[in-house]
Amino acid sequence: MKKIFLFILPAILLVSCVKSLDDYNIDQKNPGEVTAGSLFANSSKVISDVLTTPSVNTNVFRLWVQHWTTTTYTDEPRYDFVTRNIPQSFWTQLYREALMDLQSSRQTVEADEFLDETIKANQIALTEIMSVYAWTVVVNTWGDVPYTEALQLDEHGQPSYDDAATIYADLFSRLDAAIEAIDPAADGFGDSDLIYGDDMAAWLKFAHSLRLKMAITVADVDQSTAQAAFNASQSQAFTSNADNATFEYQAASPNNNPVSANLVPPFTSRQDFVVASTITDRMNELEDPRRDVYFVDKVGGEYVGGVPGLTSPYSDFSHAGDRITDPTAEALLLDYAEVQFIKAEAAARGWGGDATSLYRSAITASMDYWGVGSSAISTYLAQPGVNIAVTPANFREVIGNQKWLALYNRGYDAWVEWRRLDYPELEPAQNAEGPMPLRLPYITSEYTLNRASVTEAAGRIEGGDESGSRVFWDVN
Amino acid sequence: MAGVLLIGSAMAQDRRVSGKVVAQEDGLGLPGVTVQITGTSEGTQTDAEGTYTLTVPASATTIDFSFIGYERQTVTIGTQTTINVTMVPDAQQLGEVVVTALGIVRQRNELTYAAQQVKAEDITRTRDNNFVNALSGKVAGLDIRQSGTMGGSTNVVMRGVKSMTGNNQALFVVDGAPISNANTNSSNQMTGRGGYDYGNAAADINPDDIASMTVLKGAAATALYGSRAANGVIMITTKKGRKNSMNVTVNTGLTVGNIDKSTFAEYQKEYGAGYVNDYTRQVTGRGGYSTENGGFWNRSVFGETSLIVPFTEDASYGAPFDPNLSVYQWDAFDPSSPTYGQKTPWVAGRNDPSSFYQTGINATQSITVDGGGENATFKAGYTRNDEKGVLPNSKIVKNIFNLGGSYDLRTNLTASASANFTKVDGLGRYGTGYDGNNPNQQFRQWWQTNVDLKEQEAAYFRNEQNITWNWSDETATSPIYSNNPYFSRYQNFQNDTRNRYFGNFALSWKPLDWLDVLGRVTYDGSSEMQEERWAEGGADVPGYSLYNRTYSETNYDLLVNFNKELSEDVTIGGLIGSNIRRDRVNSVFAQTVGGLAFPGLYSLSNSFSPMDAPVEVYRRVGVDGIFAAANVGYKDTYFLDATIRRDQSTTLPPENNTYWYPSIAGGFVFSNLLGDESVLNYGKLRLNYAQVGSDAPALSLYDTYIINFPFDGIHQTSVGANKQNPNLLPERTRSVEAGLEVSFLDSRLGFDASYYNTTSFDQIMGVSVSTATGYGFRFVNAGTMENKGFEISAFGVPVRTENFSWTINANFARNRNKVVDLYEENENLQIATMQGGLTLNATKGQPFGTFRGVNYVYNDGQKVVGDDGYYLSSAPDQVIGDVNPDWTGGIQNAFTYKNFALNFLIDIRHGGDVWSLDQYYGQATGLYPESAGLNDLGNPSRLPIEDGGGVILPGVKEDGTPNDIRVENYDSNVTPYGYANNPTAVGLFDASYVKLREAAITYTLPSEWLAKTNAIKSIDVSVVGRNLWIIHKNLPYADPEAGLSSGNIQGYQSGAYPTVRSLGFNVRFRF
Repeated sequence: MKKIFLFILPAILLVSCVKSLDDYNIDQKNPGEVTAGSLFANSSKVISDVLTTPSVNTNVFRLWVQHWTTTTYTDEPRYDFVTRNIPQSFWTQLYREALMDLQSSRQTVEADEFLDETIKANQIALTEIMSVYAWTVVVNTWGDVPYTEALQLDEHGQPSYDDAATIYADLFSRLDAAIEAIDPAADGFGDSDLIYGDDMAAWLKFAHSLRLKMAITVADVDQSTAQAAFNASQSQAFTSNADNATFEYQAASPNNNPVSANLVPPFTSRQDFVVASTITDRMNELEDPRRDVYFVDKVGGEYVGGVPGLTSPYSDFSHAGDRITDPTAEALLLDYAEVQFIKAEAAARGWGGDATSLYRSAITASMDYWGVGSSAISTYLAQPGVNIAVTPANFREVIGNQKWLALYNRGYDAWVEWRRLDYPELEPAQNAEGPMPLRLPYITSEYTLNRASVTEAAGRIEGGDESGSRVFWDVN
Repeated sequence: MAGVLLIGSAMAQDRRVSGKVVAQEDGLGLPGVTVQITGTSEGTQTDAEGTYTLTVPASATTIDFSFIGYERQTVTIGTQTTINVTMVPDAQQLGEVVVTALGIVRQRNELTYAAQQVKAEDITRTRDNNFVNALSGKVAGLDIRQSGTMGGSTNVVMRGVKSMTGNNQALFVVDGAPISNANTNSSNQMTGRGGYDYGNAAADINPDDIASMTVLKGAAATALYGSRAANGVIMITTKKGRKNSMNVTVNTGLTVGNIDKSTFAEYQKEYGAGYVNDYTRQVTGRGGYSTENGGFWNRSVFGETSLIVPFTEDASYGAPFDPNLSVYQWDAFDPSSPTYGQKTPWVAGRNDPSSFYQTGINATQSITVDGGGENATFKAGYTRNDEKGVLPNSKIVKNIFNLGGSYDLRTNLTASASANFTKVDGLGRYGTGYDGNNPNQQFRQWWQTNVDLKEQEAAYFRNEQNITWNWSDETATSPIYSNNPYFSRYQNFQNDTRNRYFGNFALSWKPLDWLDVLGRVTYDGSSEMQEERWAEGGADVPGYSLYNRTYSETNYDLLVNFNKELSEDVTIGGLIGSNIRRDRVNSVFAQTVGGLAFPGLYSLSNSFSPMDAPVEVYRRVGVDGIFAAANVGYKDTYFLDATIRRDQSTTLPPENNTYWYPSIAGGFVFSNLLGDESVLNYGKLRLNYAQVGSDAPALSLYDTYIINFPFDGIHQTSVGANKQNPNLLPERTRSVEAGLEVSFLDSRLGFDASYYNTTSFDQIMGVSVSTATGYGFRFVNAGTMENKGFEISAFGVPVRTENFSWTINANFARNRNKVVDLYEENENLQIATMQGGLTLNATKGQPFGTFRGVNYVYNDGQKVVGDDGYYLSSAPDQVIGDVNPDWTGGIQNAFTYKNFALNFLIDIRHGGDVWSLDQYYGQATGLYPESAGLNDLGNPSRLPIEDGGGVILPGVKEDGTPNDIRVENYDSNVTPYGYANNPTAVGLFDASYVKLREAAITYTLPSEWLAKTNAIKSIDVSVVGRNLWIIHKNLPYADPEAGLSSGNIQGYQSGAYPTVRSLGFNVRFRF
């Protein structure tokens, strides 16, 4: 029998082993802690990517505003956003990546006991500014969304939806606080600041410009808030294209501009996009000098766009310009032209300033940005279709038409402004599968995973949770 | 002292009995038969010729002869010194011994749970390289699904899916060693987004080394495996050498395979390339195609403006074929083509894509040598498979070596060891899913019916360039979507190598008659290397990826096992033991970025742009178990078993990581209470209860961040999508099973039926959460799933005469799965999102594996059309179907006539759904005959309605009256077929099938022919076939069984492969 114990003894000794294997639970290959800067850098890129990409799985706004259309697969220009679950992808990248990383970045900064207080304040302000920016995108897209209970899984597994106007009010105050907190002379996130390269003074201008943008967005529904916010920031916003909030992409995958990733070799062999006739017709009519940058490949001596909703053989139509499809093309989060358009509109609304000259300045800023020479700009501004006095009665149309042209490479913002200003007057695509979308419907997974909250929110929407319903600032 | 006396007295009156044991079916000597003095452990085995010699004490009155697959015989010794026995095949195998959990051998009579035996011949008969496939249709309750690619994985699920997000694959155990059956397929591959199916690891087991197989189905049978017992166990016993014998078996076989055309696309032959003919130009006055010859480009080439096939349009909704019309086709732009610069007639391709598939060849050679001397046994085996697939440039070479032996160190101490080495080398495995490297993506979804596949072949081989039918434009310099399929096969191929080592070392000590002790170390390890490529000139960015993975599982077992007859009526047995398991996975994946610096060089250092950091995985699991079992038998009639196991796992938090798994089971052989004159030969009732479980996946407890590719040297990180859970508990399954086993009429008819009810609860799952929480998933213990089922395996011997016999084995299983509860108030858990707006889910109140998407609207079972004449759509996210069959069954017939044997197997699956992306897209792109042809008016349906075309969809209008609204069918955007104007449910089909799965005719050469050779004992010649005929199915142009990979995502087809029908021969020599 002794021999039995020779077997059993080592076995029993080994049996107690699991207790000593605690490190089996620790992932040896992925970090449990990271730097706040790395999270901030990542969120900046996610925000830039999601707003810039023309991937039909995520961002189809260029197609909806009829800057571009597709060659063969015309579902998306015809407002089919269901098949590819586009709202889901857009939402997830904003919430689960951009906003979550910003929150984690902020928490990491706050938990850092050894960080200089000034730098700490700056870093928190930066996470706040980018968060406010991302939240405006979320609200402008869906309206009421999870906000106060969002991003807190342990406490709120099924976050309730907040009123969009209330969220906007909170965003204003968060942005105010961030502006107050910034010390322009001190450092922020250092090299991890992929937008302004640690220039806190530039961030301050960006924050003020963002406040202008938010102000004008709510101008139709809450004029007093809008005007107060506008007045607080109008003199401190961008003063030239040098101030633009840009994200500068790189030549090589995966850090190349998402436009290049979807349009040009060597990143893809597909030929899915041509420019839309809506914009080529309009720009041809105005003999717009930006055409040579916006477009490439004339057909029969002129730029020709495809009709949205119809199939458009690639070689029969013009395409997005080389500067736009360049892998290193910078993406714009907010630019000087937009600020000038906002100021022009504010002036037309009677908040001060010369609306017409600001309107001309906005067009000039856009032309400058795209490298148009000053004489060509003058010629353009002088022609009857452009040379229009901006008045309280016509500003939506005059500014709307030109802003739509200026926002050519910013499909998402063009869609927001088109909804708000209701100009230019776009015809629905051929064979449209529904009305031209004025918002994105709530995502399907909210209905399966957060049903009570989303159903309650959907019930508040006039017209229901449909793409034809309007968000709170879109009053007509 | 007593023992010595006993031995002494026995020796005084010993006599020797000898004889020969032959098998009834062929009259040949049967080697390896256990010859044992009844009621003792004393005995021997027959040698290679079937003869034996046994020393018998005077006290002995009878001798038992037993052998797997034959009825046990008990012969009275009397005064005989020569006892010859003819063994009768036992259809039900009641008297035999059965290998149960942990390798414990039990009498079948004693079993208190369902355990179905599968004979080695049934596995090897039709020579499938993956023996798992050969189980299909043979075991009640075992669901086998083959994905349909060369070397691809096979899904093995017993009695229904129990874990919503965890592993549900049955556990394979070879000679006591648990063997991984995992696949290494990526989640992209499993959800149909491209990649290769690298197969399931159980396929590394040598079919020719299998002696017998026992399928332990329920939790009571497997409870001793504790936290890995939930999914059933397939126990494999390999061949062993026998003492004082020497056998050599050689198999040589060759099968050839061709695709079953009923499982591949058929094409309409009326219209060619295009999505639309002249609609665009009519509306806009520009773009589109020329009005006069709707469907073509009218562009300047070769010095003229002429009609050109719209190469970019990967659909067949274009111009009607017209042999009198000549146009520039893709080949006109290939300078090496004899038709360069020439227009050719506009006709359907003479060779459709089915001609892409070639004849597959599968050659198998194997040799097994086994034998032994007085104190030792050995076996050695070598099997080589050479498989050439039905796709060009595909092959798998498999070399399997087995070595095993035992040595009696002392009379009661035996050391044994086995070592297995399998080397699998794959080249050109089939691309799967929605990916350019799956030729079926173009063949079934995005194709131009004007393309002649043989011309594509010739074009590729002229200069090995990507001369595709799918040029970007008339400059014909690069493909837009699809490569020439030959380019993809010959340039974008993958290769892989898997080295697999498994084996064991054991010491078995039998200090007492009734006690034995086993110490065993088992090891299963593999190292894999997978390389994938994308060549310059293809539609994808050129690239190269490399994946290396090593895996190992080591088990240390100690078992103390006893069996004792307390009195004539009472037997008791039991065991105590411990098991220590350590698993480790270590893998690295890296791929080039942005292209290849130097085309044709496939190495990571040749990355055009700086590479992403490799993805590393390092996961370890440690589980320590202790267990005990006890069994009591009374009068060979009443049996009671109980087991208990305690496991402690590293994957759970230390405070919750220890847990207990009990089982209790009873058996009652009621036939023993009936008189001998009863028609019932045997009858047993079984009842058992058990609880088993499952620990968490490794690394589920603590949150981590993701390190992303740096931006210009700046680090980027992101919060992980999974919220981990430091409070996890083990997942549990509770099971009750009742069984009835009977045989009648001289054991010529009988069945074994079981009813079971299992509830799996506290499931560990990554549940999807609202992404507004900042996460995508969280790990929780939640959810309850039920499987209730009934299964029966029956046998009958309608005819048994000296020369002829007919045996039927049939089985039937019906499992009802139900998702009882999910996390909190969730009604649905999404398992996977698939292309086509489809999701695979666990939906509360429904069976696991529901398909959700947009459904049709029905009125009294009729599809409802709207005012526009197209089908109406339901609200989004409706349950439209589920994967679970209503029942499965198999009928195996075996006929023997003299030296001939004929076997065939009908394999049936009834009910359940399959969703086809091939139909979803392929119908809409106008490939299939349904989308063309004549309408109800007798006109081509693709004419505009105003010209008499269009179709009326079957169904009713919203007011319930029959639909009479005609819809257009001349443009893929307006077609009523496929995805463009239909809900998700357009891709849903019934997955039922009835298949003639296997058939084999074997002729055993008469032994007298061989007698002269003295060397050869037997020669069997077989003609074998697999997947010969799909007798019935409801899914057009594909096999409803085809899928992507083993795992929890089933029932989805994207670029499905046709089924290969194989036919061949095998010759077996025994020396």
